[in-house]
Amino acid sequence: MRQIEQKKLLTIITAGELQRMVIEQLKKRGIGGYTVVSASGAGTAGLESGMLMSDSSVIIYIIMSEARLERVLVDMDKFMSRGYRVKAFYQDINIMPRKPGKSSPDS
Amino acid sequence: MLSSALSNLLDPAVLFFVLGTGVGLLRSNLEIPPAIAKFLTLYLLVALGLKGGSALAEGGLPADGIYAIIAAIFMAALVPAVSFYILSRRINPFDSAAVAATYGSISAVTFITTQQFLADRAVEFGGYMTVAMVLMETPAILMAVVLATAVRAKEAMQQQAAETGTAPEEDDDFAPLSIRDVLQEALTDGAQLLLIGSLVIGYLAGPEGTAEMLPFTYDIFKGMLAFFLLEMGLLVGKQMSEGRAKIDKALFAFAFVSPPVNAAIAILLAFWIGLGVGDAVLLAVLSASASYIVVPAVARYAIPEARPGIYFTMALGLTFPFNIIVGIPLYYAMVQMLWGM
Repeated sequence: MRQIEQKKLLTIITAGELQRMVIEQLKKRGIGGYTVVSASGAGTAGLESGMLMSDSSVIIYIIMSEARLERVLVDMDKFMSRGYRVKAFYQDINIMPRKPGKSSPDS
Repeated sequence: MLSSALSNLLDPAVLFFVLGTGVGLLRSNLEIPPAIAKFLTLYLLVALGLKGGSALAEGGLPADGIYAIIAAIFMAALVPAVSFYILSRRINPFDSAAVAATYGSISAVTFITTQQFLADRAVEFGGYMTVAMVLMETPAILMAVVLATAVRAKEAMQQQAAETGTAPEEDDDFAPLSIRDVLQEALTDGAQLLLIGSLVIGYLAGPEGTAEMLPFTYDIFKGMLAFFLLEMGLLVGKQMSEGRAKIDKALFAFAFVSPPVNAAIAILLAFWIGLGVGDAVLLAVLSASASYIVVPAVARYAIPEARPGIYFTMALGLTFPFNIIVGIPLYYAMVQMLWGM
């Protein structure tokens, strides 16, 4: 049985057009693993129907360590300060590492 | 004029748009799966590019075409400049820049619908108008980004002056976007690349080469356009019924007044340089339409301070239906009247 590790799951909701910008920033923090899901909804930016390329949202999931999370949250804060519509929240998770008996690298 | 407007309104594609809007307003559960909706946009861009490129290969680029392209570039610079000048006196400068970019650029679907309108009436137009459309897509967003950058720099200086002695924090990762960044974002936009690529393929293959694709680009085109307009109607209806975006009166008026004014300027320009009826109507529609695909997508990245709920809703929820239902027959009637004098 693999030893369960404690990690953070960061969830970022943003416009599809900003996906590339957010992911490039994550890469600068050494994060290469993430999952992207297309989404639709509504908010202060209006209706995001997901029907056009210009009104689609994405949800980006990233699993990482707490130390790395802090740096990423600072980046998201800077994006938000510049006016980018980015929502970020995180939660504690318990995860089975990919390799048994060895601490898995951060995302 | 009235008969032209009525026959346009009874066109099945336009009727599907009206149906979609009604269904969207009723908050029905009818929906087109997002993947299919996106495919329809891509299909229309491929068909438009192939047709334009093939027509360009067949007819070449006559003097009329060069004049039309120059006029189109002139309108692509004039409309955002004047729009920003008017809007920035009333609303937030970032919103003004984004709205100016949206109205300075073009709506490919309005252009396609107009081509179909002209084809139904056997009015000829040049393949070079598709080139004009492509060239009108980007100047407005570049101009808007330059304006937004100037506003941002001014605000930063004012803030720095207010916080005397504190220098702004520098961070290379979050430096303001350069024109190169924005140009790269605009020119690598998927919709833009597909349209330009299809135009080049249509030109290289010529009428003979694209003949085999006629079932794809011509035979099913009207049906696909109708289906796409149903989708757009649903989107417009949902935007209206959600009522989330707060469009103030000045912007509301701008969304309906600026298209016919821009169209009138384009028609006078077309008359002055001696374009044909079809080319003049297309130039008017290009000048009167607002982008709701490429520019809103780029503006989210390049002008993040602007509110998408304003510029996207104005372009899609107000100006697009106006042009489809009223604008196209109105501009056609204006051209017929002026050319018939």
